[in-house]
Amino acid sequence: MATEFHNLQELHHSASLATKVFIQRDYRDGTICKFQTKFPTELDSRIEKSLFEETLKTLNCYYAETEKIGGQSYLEGCLACATAYIIFLCMETPYEKILKKISMYIQEHNEKIYAPRGLLLTDPIERGMRVIEISIFEDSGSTSSSGSSPSSSTAQ
Amino acid sequence: MPNSVGKRFKPTKYIPVSTAATLLVGSTTLFFVFTCPWLTKAISPAVLLYNGIVFLFVLANFSMATFMDPGVFPRADEDEDKDDDFRAPLYKNVEIKGIQVRMKWCATCHFYRPPRCSHCSVCDNCVEEFDHHCPWVNNCIGRRNYRYFFLFLLSLSVHMVGVFSFGLLFVLHHLETLSALHTTVTLVVMCVTGLFFIPVMGLTGFHMVLVTRGRTTNEQVTGKFRGGVNPFTRGCCGNVKHVLCSPLAARYITDPRKKLPITLNPPFLRPDLSYRHVRVKVSDNGIHSSILQSKSKTSLDGVDDKSVDTQPPLPPKADRYNQLKSQLTSSEGNSLSGKPTSPSTPAMYKYRPYFGTMPKVHYHVTGEKIVMSENGKPSAVLEERGHDYRSEPNLDMPDYRSAPLHRTYQSSPFQLDSFSTTSRLFSLKQAVNGADQMPLGVSKPETVTSTPHKGVFSPGMLSGRNSSLSYDSLLTHSVTPSVGECAAHPGVPSMGFHSPYLPTKMCHVRGPELQRHIGPPSYSPVHVGVMYGRQSPLSRDRDPSPVRYDNLSKTIMASIQERKELEEREKLMHRHAQAYANDSGVFDTCSGAAYGLPRGTGSREPTPPVCGSRDNLMGVGVVGYAPRTPVLHSSASSLSRAPRTSTTSLHTDAGGVSRTAERQYRSPVRQTHHSPTAVPRSPTYTHQKVTFISALERADSPHLGTREDLCQGKVNGQLKGQARDCHLGTPSGTPSRHANVKKVTGVGGTTYEISV
Repeated sequence: MATEFHNLQELHHSASLATKVFIQRDYRDGTICKFQTKFPTELDSRIEKSLFEETLKTLNCYYAETEKIGGQSYLEGCLACATAYIIFLCMETPYEKILKKISMYIQEHNEKIYAPRGLLLTDPIERGMRVIEISIFEDSGSTSSSGSSPSSSTAQ
Repeated sequence: MPNSVGKRFKPTKYIPVSTAATLLVGSTTLFFVFTCPWLTKAISPAVLLYNGIVFLFVLANFSMATFMDPGVFPRADEDEDKDDDFRAPLYKNVEIKGIQVRMKWCATCHFYRPPRCSHCSVCDNCVEEFDHHCPWVNNCIGRRNYRYFFLFLLSLSVHMVGVFSFGLLFVLHHLETLSALHTTVTLVVMCVTGLFFIPVMGLTGFHMVLVTRGRTTNEQVTGKFRGGVNPFTRGCCGNVKHVLCSPLAARYITDPRKKLPITLNPPFLRPDLSYRHVRVKVSDNGIHSSILQSKSKTSLDGVDDKSVDTQPPLPPKADRYNQLKSQLTSSEGNSLSGKPTSPSTPAMYKYRPYFGTMPKVHYHVTGEKIVMSENGKPSAVLEERGHDYRSEPNLDMPDYRSAPLHRTYQSSPFQLDSFSTTSRLFSLKQAVNGADQMPLGVSKPETVTSTPHKGVFSPGMLSGRNSSLSYDSLLTHSVTPSVGECAAHPGVPSMGFHSPYLPTKMCHVRGPELQRHIGPPSYSPVHVGVMYGRQSPLSRDRDPSPVRYDNLSKTIMASIQERKELEEREKLMHRHAQAYANDSGVFDTCSGAAYGLPRGTGSREPTPPVCGSRDNLMGVGVVGYAPRTPVLHSSASSLSRAPRTSTTSLHTDAGGVSRTAERQYRSPVRQTHHSPTAVPRSPTYTHQKVTFISALERADSPHLGTREDLCQGKVNGQLKGQARDCHLGTPSGTPSRHANVKKVTGVGGTTYEISV
């Protein structure tokens, strides 16, 4: 994230990081990976609620898929045992495959939807799957004194 | 032994794992060399194969348990933890399947530990689904490697049983040659196996129970679910499946991936109007917002007297509304905030002559998406609405309704809805009820009525309208606390008031009532209140308004009081900044007089502050920590601000004063309590203290378990803790924050950044 942030700063000087919003995990159903879909108020003026919720729902679906115990996970386990776990050195686990998909999804959405709105989503895996970090950028060319004070950045 | 800056190399921690590995590999090797040949011959080669496979399985699981990342959480970014600052509690409750589970704040990793996560002191990491730290594999057992650990135990038990049994078989067949090498070695292997049989089998059995119950060792040992319900259990079968068959999770500590940089190109898109937003387009004859702005100023004069005479409570409310409105617009990226917030009068009064046509208000209501043009007009409109608010009672100005203005703006759904609502109502009122107290003599209501409207306007609104507009309604209207600052204007008239520019404030305050009248609630007062509340720090910068507290609720008055105190305090701080070069002088004038405390001259030593420019508040954090007092004294001494020295005075009292100070300014969110002290306090310094109260309160919570407690005793953590106490952001260990910006924590829980 830090690397990404610096890239952004270098690329375009007129966009400055104003604040960050953190979408926390939703633990109501246990320790499964699921993020709260509550729309943060800080994004109210930055992005449509429907777009945001759609992104979150898709992410939650992806994460649910990673933790699904089914045929594929049985196969993975048996194969790993049979090969004395050497298979992990050669192949990518299904979990990692879905994580790559998620990463591409986030990258794509950042480019198409969030960056034009001055927002950037950070892949939660970089934060230990604890939060989805949304960086809110402001056009430093404008005279707005937007909510860049730390007090205004509330996760929810 | 070499000592590195980071982790120290401790060979002792490798002893158990080396012993375990040696015993395992050594014993099994001996078994294979000395015992297996005979077994293969005497029984079958399958014995060798079986033992070989089992041993391989043991080794593989042992290796995985040893070398696999158990699910270590990376440290949280600074930006993430600044929300959870000192005033946040040590524990955060979360409901999991109906059961309240506590999430503890990890001072090392800077986040609230997810459920089932625990911090391993050996590895100094938070581990997901932490089971225990196993010295035999020299690794934490957590989410990712618990299965391998469990399988290691199982397979080791099986292996030990196999080795012991086959060894016994060998010995029984070689009783006559017990002194022979093979037999001796087999006996030794049997002894080793037998020796470790009990602990290994015991541990295996223990973990089998844990797996079926769906608990971790940590939870079992700490008795978390003793007598209670385990929210993490999936049933016996589900738990076993989860342990053995769940997919291998990914590591969190990964190398930073090379990502494609994303270009941010301002100006940024603003959201299309969603169902929550209503775009109101007021068409005019081409005169734009600038006129509105200028007019709003000039129009104040003429109407001021009138409005003041007839509506005494209005000016303060409108003024407050202007403040909030400015905050709102500024938050939307507009430059409205520059407008003066002196009591304003409806710009309408002066607008009228300039516009000859009726304002055409087009309401694109809930459900319709309209691309909103980004322009600066919203500010003007909002400003005007502020004025309109003041014009509320004086609706004998029919003309202003006929000021057509093409203004497109987007405000909160609350505002626009109400705006459109009132405009609509206005027009409808004209059509329906001309005898209302609102003599809004609109000459061309049809322009308004012709516009499409859905949802926002309903017949119910008309009924709401019909209530009379009077000061009684303004004065007695109860404000929902959720509206936050909006509640400063409690006397919002009912929907009977029909100005096309119904002030946002009114609408907000009217939120609950409006929702009753309007069918589909298209906005929420809470939302707006939250928005406004969020912007409260910005209001500090406004000119103080002559707010009258006659009819403001207690909550609002308290918040207003706090803000005033904060403002005064800041003024004092800025004044003192230049005046105080010597702490002692400050201390004399400020703290001594205020508190009547004996000034310990030796209490302050002229040593450099511990943490750069943040030392001003450093002293605050000391109060609650006796061990750190001497350290922070030095930092406090070099403080050049009155508040700091006054804090030092508290300091000298060994925290006793701080208790009193803290109590006076205890924020409702704080969980600290303070021992009573009898230190007299000067009210003048209460303002100064406000900043430090929060820090003091935070400091004063060793037994309550706020997060500063966790920082005690650590060298690095001490600095960190101090910094956290002072809510300074970054201690010396984290230099990413600006050195010349000081964060000040207000009583209300907001944090202000002051440039030093």
